[in-house]
Amino acid sequence: MTLSYVPDDTLAHRLDPRSKLLFQVGFAAAAYAYTTPRGLVVLTAVAAAVLGLAGGGPRSLWSYRFALPFLLVAPLVAGATLGDPWFRTDRAFETSLASYRVLLVLAVAAAYVRSTPVRDSRAAIQRTVPGRAGVVLGVGVALVFRFLPLLTHDLRTTREAIAARGGDRLPVHVRMRLVATAGINRAFERADRLGVALSARCFAWNPTLPPLAFGRLDGVVLAVSVGLLVVAVV
Amino acid sequence: MILKWVYRGAVVMETRTEAVDLVGDDAAINLARAALFAALVGAFAYVSFPFPFSPAPVTLQVLGVFLAGILLGPVWGGVALSFYLVAGALGAPVFSGGSAGLGTLLAEPTLGYLWSYPIAAALVGGIVHRGTTLRNPREIGVATLVGAMVAGTVVIYTFGVIGMAVVLSLTLPEAFLQGAVVFLPAEAAKIVAAIGILRSDAIAAA
Amino acid sequence: MIELSGVTCRYGPGGDRRAGGTDPGDGDTRAGETRNGTTAGEGGVLAVDDVTLSIDDGEFVVIAGANGSGKTTLVRTFNGLVRPTTGTVAVNGRSVEEDLVAAREAVGMVFQDPRDQLVAATIGADVAFGPENLGLPREEIDRRVQAALAAVNLSGREDDRIATLSGGERERVAIAGALAMEPDHLVCDEPFTGLDEPARRSVLDRVRTLHGDGTGIVIVTHDLRDVFPLADRIVGLSNGRVVVDGPPERAVASLPGIDVRVPARYPPDTGADETGRSKP
Repeated sequence: MTLSYVPDDTLAHRLDPRSKLLFQVGFAAAAYAYTTPRGLVVLTAVAAAVLGLAGGGPRSLWSYRFALPFLLVAPLVAGATLGDPWFRTDRAFETSLASYRVLLVLAVAAAYVRSTPVRDSRAAIQRTVPGRAGVVLGVGVALVFRFLPLLTHDLRTTREAIAARGGDRLPVHVRMRLVATAGINRAFERADRLGVALSARCFAWNPTLPPLAFGRLDGVVLAVSVGLLVVAVV
Repeated sequence: MILKWVYRGAVVMETRTEAVDLVGDDAAINLARAALFAALVGAFAYVSFPFPFSPAPVTLQVLGVFLAGILLGPVWGGVALSFYLVAGALGAPVFSGGSAGLGTLLAEPTLGYLWSYPIAAALVGGIVHRGTTLRNPREIGVATLVGAMVAGTVVIYTFGVIGMAVVLSLTLPEAFLQGAVVFLPAEAAKIVAAIGILRSDAIAAA
Repeated sequence: MIELSGVTCRYGPGGDRRAGGTDPGDGDTRAGETRNGTTAGEGGVLAVDDVTLSIDDGEFVVIAGANGSGKTTLVRTFNGLVRPTTGTVAVNGRSVEEDLVAAREAVGMVFQDPRDQLVAATIGADVAFGPENLGLPREEIDRRVQAALAAVNLSGREDDRIATLSGGERERVAIAGALAMEPDHLVCDEPFTGLDEPARRSVLDRVRTLHGDGTGIVIVTHDLRDVFPLADRIVGLSNGRVVVDGPPERAVASLPGIDVRVPARYPPDTGADETGRSKP
């Protein structure tokens, strides 16, 4: 199950994306500054509350499973030493806390992803990054969201076609080459058509910016985020 | 006539604050290519190849970084990978295993690899094209291509190992052991694949 | 009103895709042109050869021709997506070269395969893209999005995700995106390719209604079966030249000669003085 935006009307859904982004930065800073058992207990409560307020739960973390091997192996790697005492529990413990910290930051990030539509994210970019850079980044990011499923489908089709013709027996670098070549060609074909379509629709450097509403609740979140940053730095 | 009517009636209430400043047609195509390349690097996260000695399946994402620099050049290649990172941070499922979110860039053990991608793409592009003016990839020698991609690999793994050490409170040798050693042979296969792609007539864009 | 005068479009040899501006885009002109087009003496390919043409407001014109006949390149000169090598194009009396924005507002364009021209994740955000680029106030943008969606029978579907739509719905969203610019002419390049029969009918039905409401329609196609009864006029292209220009019943006599599919119930008329050729 992929973590993605889910239409809903939770507290998190009603927040301005900019305050949600700043909150993530503040939370991560605090997590790095207070990677102690006590600090992590408090931060766990915060992370669980935030994810809950976005309508998510432990299942939202499933998409991060690929990080798990790193998180589980790291304490062993840290604890292992060549020579006496062969395993240092203090080092392993320190790294265990660091591994756990990762999960908390990911949980808060999952809350953002679950509660923020692409349109809001694009608006946040174009209202934060000034000038042409903001236009390029805003439109570019929106296009990544839009075309990811199409290109994923293109690649899957290519792979199936290769497998159907017995390509599974080819060396891995040859299979990589075949899949990548097909993917790049499809991407360029689509991009050239898309570029013309953008021009036809008067793609401009100075568009009307997408709407965003910064409410009272956002003020609170903003204050908390700044507070977390201050606490982390001081 | 209703549609037209409303249209014409509304002309009066149009209040444009400034003249429309069109993005040039070439810039629009470059932007579209960078965005599609970013999406392609994201799509590569879903295509994994089992690789000998590698604990995790190998994806083509780093190959995408190399090719972005080579095919789009240092500027748009770097822009493409920036699109990739920002889109992923804002929720596009483009990171490994289809994950997403700013947290990945702030705290995930492999964050250093990700942050290095725009820099590596720009570096590979800069070396291959010797500047920002694009050369035809087919006219570039294999030695230059390999050198550029090896330099890119060094950047990616330097960032990656340092990032992993910081995130997991490991020493650099420990992080190298956990995050780099087993993956390096696969990078060699990607460089071979990239040369194969660029040397063949398979890429229409080249 | 779109006026072309002596328009010729020539592409450089090789057609480097990275150069961006020179590539005409769809298969109609890229691969096809190189194979079938008239090769110019001084290298490169002649896609459009000395075309003079004018399209009135509210007119329903079908531009017909086989793959590689130059029809896509021709219509792309209407809004400056392709700049003619020689000749001039004017929209509503103003040179396209001098006022690109006005030309692109007045001539809305929908291309083959709507999947590659929709830019946003949801219908509403996509249709708003054009008006946003025009720098219109938000209320005006919202009004245009509503009107455009109503015109393609997609009212109330603003928040639907593009990824979940059928081919016909995507085509209609693409048309809505063009309509939100409030164009005088709507140009659709091969709009029926890849659509099933019900989807073709619904798109056709929307196009007919738009025409009835006063929007000029230009359909580019190699398959006349669907649009034949609707057209005021058919312009046939072959090797970049206009070889037929006239009302359907007159034009049909010359159509088989330019290799396009025509409806079965319009057999070629062999009447000697009814060929409708625009050029002797």
